[in-house]
Amino acid sequence: MSKGLITRDLRVAVEGKEILKGIDLTVEPGRVHALMGPNGSGKSTLAFTMAGHPGYTVTGGSVTLDGEELLDLPPEKRAQAGLFLSFQYPAAIPGVTVANFIRTARQAVRPGDLAPAKFRQLVFEKLDTLDMDPAFLGRYVNDGFSGGEKKRLEMLQMAIIGPKYAILDETDSGLDVDALQAVGKSVQALRASDEGKDTGFLVITHYPRILQHLPADVVHVLIDGRIVKTGGPELAQQIEREGYDGIRDEVAAAGV
Amino acid sequence: MFAPTAAGLDAAVAVLANAGERSGGVLDADERRAALTRYETAMLPGGRPSRGWRHDYAKLRFDELRYTSDRVAIPESTGALVHRGATVLTAPGSVVSDSRVTVLPLADAARDERFRALIPALDEGAQADKFAALATAFQNCGAFVHVPAGVVLDTPIQLVFAQAEPYADAIFPRIVVVLGEGARATVLERQIGEGAGLVCGVVSAQLGANAELDYAAIQQLGEEARVLMYRSAHTGAAAKVRWHLAELGATLARTVLGTHLEAGGADTECDALFFNTGFQHVELTTNTEHAVGNTHSSTIVRTAAADRGQGRFFGNITIRPHAHGSDASLRDDALLLSRRAHIDSVPALAIAANDVSAYHGATVGSLDQDALFYAASRGIARPDAVRMVALAFFEPAIARFPGDALREEIRTALDDKIDAATEIDA
Repeated sequence: MSKGLITRDLRVAVEGKEILKGIDLTVEPGRVHALMGPNGSGKSTLAFTMAGHPGYTVTGGSVTLDGEELLDLPPEKRAQAGLFLSFQYPAAIPGVTVANFIRTARQAVRPGDLAPAKFRQLVFEKLDTLDMDPAFLGRYVNDGFSGGEKKRLEMLQMAIIGPKYAILDETDSGLDVDALQAVGKSVQALRASDEGKDTGFLVITHYPRILQHLPADVVHVLIDGRIVKTGGPELAQQIEREGYDGIRDEVAAAGV
Repeated sequence: MFAPTAAGLDAAVAVLANAGERSGGVLDADERRAALTRYETAMLPGGRPSRGWRHDYAKLRFDELRYTSDRVAIPESTGALVHRGATVLTAPGSVVSDSRVTVLPLADAARDERFRALIPALDEGAQADKFAALATAFQNCGAFVHVPAGVVLDTPIQLVFAQAEPYADAIFPRIVVVLGEGARATVLERQIGEGAGLVCGVVSAQLGANAELDYAAIQQLGEEARVLMYRSAHTGAAAKVRWHLAELGATLARTVLGTHLEAGGADTECDALFFNTGFQHVELTTNTEHAVGNTHSSTIVRTAAADRGQGRFFGNITIRPHAHGSDASLRDDALLLSRRAHIDSVPALAIAANDVSAYHGATVGSLDQDALFYAASRGIARPDAVRMVALAFFEPAIARFPGDALREEIRTALDDKIDAATEIDA
């Protein structure tokens, strides 16, 4: 069985237009991969396709999680298999409290593994780590939340569920420095825990700054639906200096 | 047998006369005949239904309904005033523990000098509504609630109207609630039971200055029952009436809710919900009148339909001339849970004063697919996600119902309706 969140020659279309043109990517357990690229490159398409959003049509290739083919599974089964998506724009569910939602989610992914008192303890621990007021638990999911609050709730859910692989889709968008630090802190806390020490991360971002709080082991650059370059953290620094145009020029010169 | 005709009324009057002291009737024959005339001449409510509408008031049938009026003594108090059909069950002791508060069968109050003067005109609503006129003509049971000035009652007053199988009873209750100055109380009216009868009644509430009334009406009748209710309140200065309506049963349920803000500082809130499944039809009309200025109203309505359920909501706000400083809001949201469900939403504002704040908003939609995908991305299976999102839809209305126990009861009833629905998310 191949460990990892692996895409092989993944091709995806939206409303008949091909967006991803053959993506090969492997996120190993316990490693952080960053996927960077300009607007419209297909970053969120990759995230939503992996999570099973019905608006994206897979026209070729595969996505496996520790050897299990995900493309045959509905979204909830992919989550139950260990995949977590932190949304760039999380949906609001007025009327459903945060407490109810995270309890239901934990139960769906890890049924019956924690007695209620232990679960409660876990929740309060994670709230503390994220510097979140317990009053959050009584609010309706993402209803009237600021951008920072929404991202904190995504991190809280990730911490409670403890997935095998987490995709963070532009988690840094709209966040100030404090909120970014909280995101970084949350991921590090998960990686330091028993449940999360082998969690693999795919951090999807436009800008390099989140990687200051969440250092990546590997950086990929996605342009026009293809991964055109892969490297170490220094690649993010190159993007900071030269922008994506610099990468485009380099790729064009190399005839890729 | 019951018939809404002159001959039927004569027969009903004879039934009431034969019951003697056991009768629940409080109007004389002339008052009833006048009400029947108004019923016969009044227009059918609601206007022309939209295409695909299944229900037609012109085709309402009344045959096979039993008309009675009676009382039976039971050995122990139930903590509520209970009617089984049109028979009131009387028990030793008082319905409420506070001896200053009166809860009686309406007929008993009407015969008691201490309370007769407190009972408002018994043709309330008959001029305004066809079925309120019918309820007046055939009134055969009811309740009287009096909370004197300054009395604050912590526990709800329960009025229970039960349709008992195998009978199909025609019940025409009149409920009168009178709160004195500064009084506060909660009244919980329950319509329950599996019988295939008809409930057609009127509720009249009078609030003195600074009084506060929470009136909750929970309808969970059987799937063959029909219920037509007219409820109204008149408020004194700075009085507040909060209506909480849940229509969960019956094949046909029609409610007209009228609130008249007649003195400065008066305030009303209405939270209403209905959830139609099977072939149920629910119609709700709210009429909020700002008769004077410096009055406030807030209406939240949440309606949903699954299977082939149909519903209509008419939300009317009227601000009279010189009612400056009125503040009115009306929010109606409808959720269609199956392709063959149907809900009409008709809000309306009639404003005849300057310097007012008046808002209305209405939505009709289906399940939020983004919310469902979000739940699925957390491992929540689709049927569970649909249940979660559908139940959550009602929360803004449920949250304003009085008491945790009642709110949980409503949530459980809605959950049971989702289980019983055969076409949902379809």
